[in-house]
Order: sequence, then structure tokens, then C-alpha cells
Amino acid sequence: MSRYIATRAIRGANAIVAEAEAMVDDAIAELGPDTPVAFTNTAYFLPVVYAFTGRKIEKLGDLPEVIARAKALLHPVPAESMWLPYLGETLDSGVATLFAEEAIEGVRFARKLEPQIIQLSHAREDGERFTGSDLMVHGDKMKLNGPIDDIQLRAWGIQLVDGRMPGFCAVVGCAKSNEVAVKIVRELQSRGILIFLSGNVNGRSIIHQLQEEGIQLGYDTFTVPFGLDTISAVYALGFAARSALTFGGMEAGQARDIMLYNKYRVFAFVLALGEVDDLKYATAAGAISYGFPVIADTRIPQILPTGVTTYEHVVSMPFEEIPGADDMERTEKLIQRCIEVRGVKVKIAKVPIPVSYGSAFEGERIRKDIMYAEFGGKRSHAFEFLRMKPADEVEDGKITIHGVDLDGMNEGDALPLGMIVDVSGRKMQTDFEPILERQFHYFINGVEGIQHNGQRDIAWTRVSKNTFAKGFRLEHFGKVIHARIHEVFGNIVDKVQVTLTTDAAEVDERIEEARLAYAERNERIANLTDESVDIFYSCLLCQSFAPNHVCVVNPERVGLCGAYNWLDCKASFEINPTGPNQPVPKGIVLDPVNGEFSGPNEYIHAHSNQTVDKVTFYSIMESPMTSCGCFECIMVLVPEANGFMIVSREDPSMTPCGMTFSTLAGTAGGGMQTPGMMGMGKYYLTSKKFIPADGGMKRVVWMSSNLRESMRPALEEVCVREGDPDLLDKIVDETMATTVEELLPLLEAKGHPALTMDPLF
Amino acid sequence: MTAVEIPVEKWSGAVREVTLGSSYGGGTRTSTVTVGGETSLPFLGFEGALPHRPALAVEVVDMKPADWSPELVATWGDDLSDPANWAARAVEEGADLIALKLRSCHPDFGDRSATEARATVDRVLAAVGVPLIVYGPGTADKDNEVLVAVAEATKGEQLALGLCEEKNYRTIVAAALGNGHLVIAQTPIDVNLAKQLNILISDMRLPLERVLMDPNTGALGYGLEYTYSVMERLRLAALMGDAMTQQPMICTIGEESWRQKEGRAATDVPEAWGELAERGVAWEVTTAMTLLESGADILVLRHPGSVGVLREALDDLTKGA
Repeated sequence: MSRYIATRAIRGANAIVAEAEAMVDDAIAELGPDTPVAFTNTAYFLPVVYAFTGRKIEKLGDLPEVIARAKALLHPVPAESMWLPYLGETLDSGVATLFAEEAIEGVRFARKLEPQIIQLSHAREDGERFTGSDLMVHGDKMKLNGPIDDIQLRAWGIQLVDGRMPGFCAVVGCAKSNEVAVKIVRELQSRGILIFLSGNVNGRSIIHQLQEEGIQLGYDTFTVPFGLDTISAVYALGFAARSALTFGGMEAGQARDIMLYNKYRVFAFVLALGEVDDLKYATAAGAISYGFPVIADTRIPQILPTGVTTYEHVVSMPFEEIPGADDMERTEKLIQRCIEVRGVKVKIAKVPIPVSYGSAFEGERIRKDIMYAEFGGKRSHAFEFLRMKPADEVEDGKITIHGVDLDGMNEGDALPLGMIVDVSGRKMQTDFEPILERQFHYFINGVEGIQHNGQRDIAWTRVSKNTFAKGFRLEHFGKVIHARIHEVFGNIVDKVQVTLTTDAAEVDERIEEARLAYAERNERIANLTDESVDIFYSCLLCQSFAPNHVCVVNPERVGLCGAYNWLDCKASFEINPTGPNQPVPKGIVLDPVNGEFSGPNEYIHAHSNQTVDKVTFYSIMESPMTSCGCFECIMVLVPEANGFMIVSREDPSMTPCGMTFSTLAGTAGGGMQTPGMMGMGKYYLTSKKFIPADGGMKRVVWMSSNLRESMRPALEEVCVREGDPDLLDKIVDETMATTVEELLPLLEAKGHPALTMDPLF
Repeated sequence: MTAVEIPVEKWSGAVREVTLGSSYGGGTRTSTVTVGGETSLPFLGFEGALPHRPALAVEVVDMKPADWSPELVATWGDDLSDPANWAARAVEEGADLIALKLRSCHPDFGDRSATEARATVDRVLAAVGVPLIVYGPGTADKDNEVLVAVAEATKGEQLALGLCEEKNYRTIVAAALGNGHLVIAQTPIDVNLAKQLNILISDMRLPLERVLMDPNTGALGYGLEYTYSVMERLRLAALMGDAMTQQPMICTIGEESWRQKEGRAATDVPEAWGELAERGVAWEVTTAMTLLESGADILVLRHPGSVGVLREALDDLTKGA
């Protein structure tokens, strides 16, 4: 916590509480203690006081108690030599400030001075200009809104809670110019953010600025003028308190719960425009105690660590120092930063492209005769590369095109294409890069008249004549990627920018950059071992048809369906914390050889309806993992051969165990634990943790030929690693043997190692 | 002679008690319905408490249904054209609750406004004293619009609002939170999805005492056994103490069984099928009885005859419990 901010906030709080006390005393003396105190059209009394303390303030005579509570929260201004933490004191002062400000507004209501009526610089000819309930201009006077009434609270509150409205912004002060004021409002409105206006700098307020520019203020435009002073900003916090009471299931008096509710669910922030005085610091401290960060367009000390707010507490962005061609660009960046600091998520309703979009188009084939142009494939090369970047290096929604666009190509042409996607996000991790990148295939294939194959540096995209004719251009690839990443990965990604290049030299240069990253990723995944992590992940997706089956995915074994590896599960949990992939702590190692851990045992027991209480990760003979039915392959013991056979889903032939894949599937699936039989993903074969307890690859005596041929290079590497480079061809397939009687002599002839290994049981 | 000892299962969990309807704080109901509270599998009174018998709701639609079975049309007659009369008659026939479907607000079936929907709900509330379940027209946007308006206009009545689905629960939950109502959480026949939706709803801080779950129902011959099995597993998990499966279950039996051929075809069917009137009710009752055995707490029915048969069956099953 900045000592400077603490000092000024505490000083401001002391001053405003003293002022409030004097005002309350005067009002009681003048009007009597029974004079009613009520905000307009609300059942929540003075809402901050009511929410935090449970006290219902109904008349002037109730206010001295509010002042007393505010005083109890005050602290002395830190001395020059004081270097202790003062966060607590500052937050207390903030709440004291809010109490005092509400008391002052209460007195003003008792005196009928609220909502404020302001003088306009020049009279309007057209009379009533504003559409909000009470908001009216008469001649050169304008009546401001004051607090939000309960009906509007309910309408907006529901939208804030259900996510249709991303958040609200309390703008306090006065913008650099009228033009900037308008731009601020437009930027916020375009994101659906609710705007509350209050405060002034030297008597001039953003309310004046907007009014002069003829901007509609009121409920209908989501832009509500509270009052010309900082004190009226308390209405924004009253609004937040009431929405917690109405839609958060809170009771008045649950101060802590109400503040936490606002921190985690109400995406609000304060934008302080112009000079920040003591009272603004004090009010800001009140906002921070709700978890609402403060962004100032002037130079003030920053509070960057997180804690009371989800991200930074106080951010300073001196307006003149924001990089940008003009004030409009500076304003855009200011608002973008506000949104990042609060973690407001962008929503894009529809992919903005000139052709249809949807999963129905995923399977389209664009043949030569209907093709307009292609990128990658046989005639050119193309790559796709997603990388994580720091937030300040990514401009959300920015799409850059280098080189020739589609309309500069001739029908039937092929060009190289590089697609570089930069993302940033508070919860983004380098590990998630390949997971996002892999989705490009689906994202792009969803476009009508586009065919996409491959990934990384073997990407291949075709655009149909029809789609080109409808106006599809390179930038639309960017728009698709931008919209879909926000939609699917909104929980981990905040910003996305896309660069597309068809410039051959640039593609050649940047493809190398991408290849380095691909190699690094491969290495990272290869180095990811069961020992290097503390957490495995569960997958319960298949319980709908295999109720007792629980997958636990570890770094060195892909899920048996082949679709989910450990990183996928980890990302899935970040994206959907209540979803089917949950973290499973490894716990204590119970058996290092068979790979038995206390954490997975407990988890599996609890989630298999208490039917499975022990699973090992490194053996098929000892409590193997159960299977749902989605396995890519089934591995089965062949006792006579002292080894295992592996049959793939694509292989319809008879196998040496006397059953075909489909017959075996009935026995292996359904969540039953059968020693000697297990479903598996085919890439498990390449893992160092492929049944190590039972002898690994050397135990494989029979394998479907399509499996062996499709994975030959990877499997040959495994055989080398296992110290038997010729092993792969010692393994028999269905073209050589479909019975044990045929299998055994072949194994003898080939000198298969399993025959001489220790007996399996 | 040795006495036979009946093995008794002891469960650690219990189904939550959920109350629909209120007679105070804005509520105008003359009766309320409480379901749940079970600490044993259905009707095994010797194993645990079964404090509330399952409730029977009758479905009322706010417009004359164009696609209903001729048997239902004949039975309800003119009452089908007026939801208030229909609801009143349903209560006479023995309904504990009315399940009002605001079908006419659907963009394809009249697209009536939220204001009109509120008026309909008001009329039905005025016509009966029993609690109400209110279903939106069944499209996300319109459901939100209509149910929010209804929720506000009926603050305190403790209606059950439906349907909350995974993609579309937040608005309805917020409307329930703000106005003291309940919600119905529907998921497509899957234990984990049901659980997840309950977690998401309680995460919005709606107390679970205000959540019913609809695990989605199949009719006899149309996936009933699958539903049965999912409901049974949900109930077993609840009794074993899994807090997020302990919601009472509501099943839309009438809708499912009367839309099948067996509930609609009067002619051109094998002789052994018998008369439509008897067959349709038998289909609804058999579906209902099956799901009662797997833990259903509220049955939404269409035929008054089924209400009578099921009431008798429940009298029998809960005797001495």
C-alpha cells in the first residue's frame, strides 16, 4: 500500500466524517430528529449503511449513529516516520467515508436538495431532452438522477448477475476535453458497460461535458448522472450493495460477504478523471474495499499487488503519456486498460464474417473445380502459430494483413500463408498455447466454403469461389479466430490479435520462428513426467453411460479415448472449474513400481459409486484403470505367450485371444476392473510409463497392423529406447496370426523377448 | 420358527426439503407443497424417514394445445381454452399443484408479450389456491424475458420457475433470487451434468432449498429405463451424502407419455392395444409409477384419470410410513 495514498485517504476520511457530523447536527437542530430521511424509490434505506450494518436509517435522528460508526472506523493520519502497513486503516477509512457520504446525502434528501439540479451553460431550446425517469432539462436547468431506483436496480441487477451486462464504471471528475468525455462514454457503451457519472474538477464535471455535446443521459442510454460532487459517487456503491442484497441472497449486515460478492461477481471499477483530492482518495478506498479497482488518468502512486481487488488496486495512466496518435486513440487505450484491470470479459455474439458460420460446415470438402485459392498443401507452405504475450503487447481485435489479399490473387492460385496469433490473459499459461492453437482447425473449418486441414507448419486451407464472391477476405480468418477464442477460451484469454501474411519472404522467416517454438513445445511435453507434477486430472465425461468409470489422466498417459491428455484436462479445468475435469492430488506414493497413489485411489473410490477402491497407473495386471468404452485400443493378456496383444478400434479381424475388438469392448468397457485387460489411447504406447511394472513394450507380442504402420516411426523410437531396435517387427499382426496356435511358433521364430521374460503370474 | 430379519440399509444423507407456494410475505396461496426430506429409497419406510409424499401436479397450457392427444382434448373439453378454468378443474380433480406452461409466448406459437404472460399467471393464481410451477415458452431469450416479468409480478408467491438449463440458467436464477421463487434445473439424463448445474446454481447463492431438479424423463417404451437408472443413481448419491445431488426430482410424465403413439392413436393399431382412453392413462400411470420407484418427488401429469389412480397408489404405498 502506498503511504501517500493511505495518508491522503485517511485525511480525506477524517475531514468528510467531521463535515458529515456538523451537517447532521445542524439538520437535526433545524428540522428536528423526526424529519424523514429517504432516498428515492428504494426499500434499502441508506443502502451502504444498511448493507454493512443492518441498520435501517429512516429519519434524521438515526443519523448520529451512522456518524458514530464512521468515527469508530477512523484512524490517525500516518506519521512521516511510520512505515507499518496501513492497508487496513485505509480500507476502514474508505468505509467510514462511504458512511459519511451517505449521511450527507441523507441530510440533503431531508432538506430536499437531492437529486441535484444543475445550471447549464446555455439554455436548451428543445425542452425535455432526456429520456430517463426523472432526468429533465428545463430551460437552462437540468435535474440529475441521484440514486438508482429499485425498479431500475432490478432490471440492471439481473443483467449484471446473469452476465448480459459485463459491469459498471463509476466515472468521477472531468475529462481532458469534451471530445474525450464523449469518447469515454462511447467506448464503455459499446461494451455494454453501465456508466455512473459524478464529481468535478474545479467545478467542471464530465456531466457538463456530455451535456454540452448533446449526449443523452439517463437509464435508457446506460449513462446515469448522479451529481456534481464526489459525494454522490456513493450512489454507485449503494447500487452495488443493493444488488448483492437483491440477487446475491445476502442479508443486510453481512458486510464481508457483500464485499466479497462484489469483488467476485460485480465487475465494477472507478475511473478517476483529473486531479485526485483527499476526498477522492478516501472514496476510492471505499470502492477498493468492495474489490473495485481505481484507474486514474493523472499521475498518482500506483498499488499494483493484488489482494483486496482481483488484480491491481490503483493504476495510474497519465493521459498525455498514453501512446497514441491522438486523444481518441489514447482514450481507447485507457478504457481497454480499465477493462483488463477489472477482468471484464469481452463477449462477441456472432462471428462477423460475410458467410455463414457453424459446425455444420466443418466437414465441407472444397474440390479443385469450386476452389478459388489455396494456402499450403502441395503448391505452397503455410503455418499457424499461437503465442502468449504480455498484455501491453496485444491489442484486442487488431488484425494485420501483410502481402497480397485474396482479391489480389487469380482464381486457382496458391500462396504461402502465415497466421500468427498473439494472446494475453491473466490466467493464460504457456502450456495452453498448443491447446488453443489446435482448435484453429475447428474454428476455421466452421466457415462456410472453407476447408482446413493440418496444423502447425503443415496447415492447408482452401477458399471456395462462392465464399470469395461473398466478400470473404484474409482479415476474416482473423475475425473468426478472435471471436472464437473469446467464446471458447474466454476464461483464460483476455486479448487476441492476429497477423496474416502472404508475403513469401516473411512467411519463410517467421515459419522458422514458429518451428523453434514447436520444437520447444515438443520438448516440454516430453519432459513432463508423472514425477514432475503433484496433480493428476480426472475425467468424468463418460459417466453418462459408464456410471462407475473414472478416468484419471497423468502426464505420461493420455486418456484412453486419445482425446484428452494431462494438459488438455488442466486447461479444461481452468476454463470450466465445475466441469468434468477436476484436479486430483497425487497424495502419497503407495507403490512406486505399480504406480499406486493415495490421491487417485480416494478420488476414484468416491466417484465410482464406491465400486473401485484401488487403481495402479503402471500395470495392467494389478488393479488396472477401468475403461468407459471409448478406448482407441484394447490391450489383453495372452497367457500362453507371456505377453499382451493390442487390438485397435479400426481392426475388424479375429485376434489371438479368440475375440474381435467389438466382442472385447463389451468385456473391457463399462467401468469394470479386469486384471489383464485394459482400454488405452494409442499414444500411450510411446510413453515411458507404458506398463513399466509389467515390462513395457517388450511384452507386446501381437498388434493390429494398422496401428503399427500408422505409428511406425514413433514406435521404432520406443524400441530403440527399450534397447531392442528390431522389436517392432518381432511383434506379430493379424495378417500373420489370429490364433494362439499360429502366434506362438512365430514368436519363437522371431525370437520375441516376452517368451524369456519373467512369468507374468 | 425363526423370524426373518429384514436387512436395513442405513444412509448418511438426506434429500433436501423444498417448499413450493407461500401464504405470507407477498404469497397468496391457501396451501403449500413440501417435497423431499427422504432418508431412504422410495417407500422403504422401515429404513428411514419419508416425511412428504410425492406431489401430483397437473399441466395447464396458456393456449389451447393444437397437438394434444384426442383423449386429452375430449377429457378437458372447453377448459383447454381457458387456463384459469383448466387450473381450477385440475384442482377439483385432485392436483396438489398446477404446472402452467406459457406456450403462447413462443415466437412460433403466438409470441405473446411478457405483460400478457403476467396477466395469465395472475388469472391462474386467482383461480386456484395451490402453488404454481411456471414454465416459459421454451426458447432461451423469450424464457428470460417472460419469466423475469412473471417473477417480479409474483414476488413472494414462491413459484417454481422453469427451465434452468446449463446454457441458460443465470437470468432465471437471478429472477428467483430477487423475488423469492424457486427454480427447476433441467439436464439431459446425466448424473454429472445434473450435479454440475446444481453447483452452478448454488454458486449464484440461490439456496438449494429453492432448487428442484428435472433429470429429464423418457416415457414407457421411449427411454424410461435410462431415466430410471439415472434418477436411481442420483438418489443413491444423495443418500450417500453427495450434497449436490440432494434436490427433490420433478418429472414431466404427462408431456412425455402423451406425445407417443400409444397415447395418441385411436385407430389403425393392433386390437390388443385396446381403447385409447384406457391405454393413454395406463401409459401415463405406468411411466409415473416407475419413476416414483426411482425417486420422483413431483409428477407433472396431463390426464385427470391418472391423478386419481396415482393418488390411490400413493395412499397404498405410504400406508404406515
